[in-house]
Amino acid sequence: MTEDELKSLQVDKKVDARGTACPGPLLEAKKSMVSVPVGGTMEVLSSDPSTNKDVPLWAQKVGHEYLGTVEEAGFWRIFVKRGK
Amino acid sequence: MAQKMLIFCGSDTPEKAFPPFMLGSGALALDMEVTLFFTMSGLNIIHKGGAEKITLAGAPKSLPEFIDILRDGGAKLIACSAAFPIIGIKEDDLIDGVECGGVATFVDAAQQADVVLTF
Repeated sequence: MTEDELKSLQVDKKVDARGTACPGPLLEAKKSMVSVPVGGTMEVLSSDPSTNKDVPLWAQKVGHEYLGTVEEAGFWRIFVKRGK
Repeated sequence: MAQKMLIFCGSDTPEKAFPPFMLGSGALALDMEVTLFFTMSGLNIIHKGGAEKITLAGAPKSLPEFIDILRDGGAKLIACSAAFPIIGIKEDDLIDGVECGGVATFVDAAQQADVVLTF
């Protein structure tokens, strides 16, 4: 998805994991995905630079769809669609 | 079938005590089966009241929190009984949810594991 599409996405769940280091944001993402309906979307806010790689990898391995990342000042917005 | 990760936890030094839980919790998130094998001073991590004393500034969670995440996530925690007399502890001193194992338990887990990490 393009950055504009991501920015206008109405997500089902938003997780603010800013301020926690790896693997905190990944663990928050995993925990929160449970409350997202299958096919629904989640946005993870993280200030940890490795989350940007970890969340897409996690999504790929466990059957979710990584939609993209929007970079903001000092943090990232990472979008994932629940696959199962 | 899920891939298996075995983590050897042989020290209660914070720099060695935290990474097994940081990586182990990540491996659980990636749907791996995780086993932690505690021996020598690593047994102090799963000694009742032990994890609270091991702290690491800047870590995302405390060690007791990490232990809960691993246990709740289905990780297997094994205490090496061979090291009990060396460290001076017994099975009753360990936190709940830990099982005892010996050398053969470790070797068997290592043979079945796709990844073995040592700390």
